Amino acid sequence: MAPNIQGAALEAHHTAHHPPHLKHHFTSSEQQFGAAKLGMWLFLVTEILLFSGMFVAYAVYRVWHPEVFAVASEVLDPVMGGINTIVLLASSLTVALSIYSAQTDDQKATVRYLVATVALAAVFLIVKYFEYTAKFEHGVFPGASFDPHGDYARYNIPYAAQFFSIYFVMTGIHGVHVVVGMVLISIMAFRAHRGHFSSAYYTPVEVTGLYWHLVDIIWIFLFPLLYLIH
Amino acid sequence: MVHNPALAEHHGHHIVPKRTLIKVFVALVFLTILTVSVVMVDLGPLNVPIALGIAAVKASLVVLIFMGLKYDSPMNALVLSIGVLFVVLFLTFTLFDTAFRGDLGNVAPETIADMQRQEQALQEREARLSGGAAADTSAAADTSAAAADTSAADTTAAAGADTTSAAP
Repeated sequence: MAPNIQGAALEAHHTAHHPPHLKHHFTSSEQQFGAAKLGMWLFLVTEILLFSGMFVAYAVYRVWHPEVFAVASEVLDPVMGGINTIVLLASSLTVALSIYSAQTDDQKATVRYLVATVALAAVFLIVKYFEYTAKFEHGVFPGASFDPHGDYARYNIPYAAQFFSIYFVMTGIHGVHVVVGMVLISIMAFRAHRGHFSSAYYTPVEVTGLYWHLVDIIWIFLFPLLYLIH
Repeated sequence: MVHNPALAEHHGHHIVPKRTLIKVFVALVFLTILTVSVVMVDLGPLNVPIALGIAAVKASLVVLIFMGLKYDSPMNALVLSIGVLFVVLFLTFTLFDTAFRGDLGNVAPETIADMQRQEQALQEREARLSGGAAADTSAAADTSAAAADTSAADTTAAAGADTTSAAP
């Protein structure tokens, strides 16, 4: 019953039942992990509704002017769009593998897969950069600055401007989400490198992964709707 | 911190096997190739539903396996389902309005009733002209009226020509 033995026992009890990451308003790690995931899913629903505003605008204008959309869509290169689709799918794989690595206590692999995810996201943005500049060079801008000339002069038809505005806004806001994702995943890679995560606690990696998968899913729908109109 | 590799499983976290993740990725790439290939074939009104259908299958694979919804608490699936339901409602009701607004660009000085009356008169005339023996008198009346018109025009033209030649 010496105080230091009691203190040591309490210490051991504390670490076993209250690991450092566990906040006191949760009864267990499982509950905390579940709550974090639910919170992220709720946020992802708000993101889905954000993009749905733009998808509905697309649908309204496409129903109004289907032939214009079909013609204007020819400007978008399906090869570049297809490459970007594969790139984002691969990035979803790498982020899922980083979580697998965290779950199996492979710290180095966790870092490597997170870095690979950021690299693939960068490739996506580089391809988009080439797509955007090719349009800007020929006067295809969003909104009132729409003035196609040169090789693109035949796209100077009524309501083509609407198609391209919708294209720029949808891919632009998606691109912003990619950049945000790159920042978050980079932070996760840094923290993983510092040993913050293990099979006992990898929640931030998990929820960041969930966000990144949604960015991929948005593009899965954007690609056929923008690039592959007959 | 405990470094037991099995700790994640022990804590109820489902670990999706690496092989499964890679198999899902291969399926997603295949479906992407399918999406592009289907564009070569024109299926008319089915084009959009098929493109969206393939995209939905791809999204489902990502949601269920990559995002782990298949192995998660059903609450997360419920949250997502309700979100998707509201997107469907949003799209459906908006299109109920915009897709059925009619031709707002069609503005003319005549009223709609006037235009309809003119349209009807034209149709009746066409019916009379293309009609058979039953519409004989009217057809003859039409032809004689046309002949009178032509002769009147001839006289006017001749008078006009006379006037022109007479003038110095």
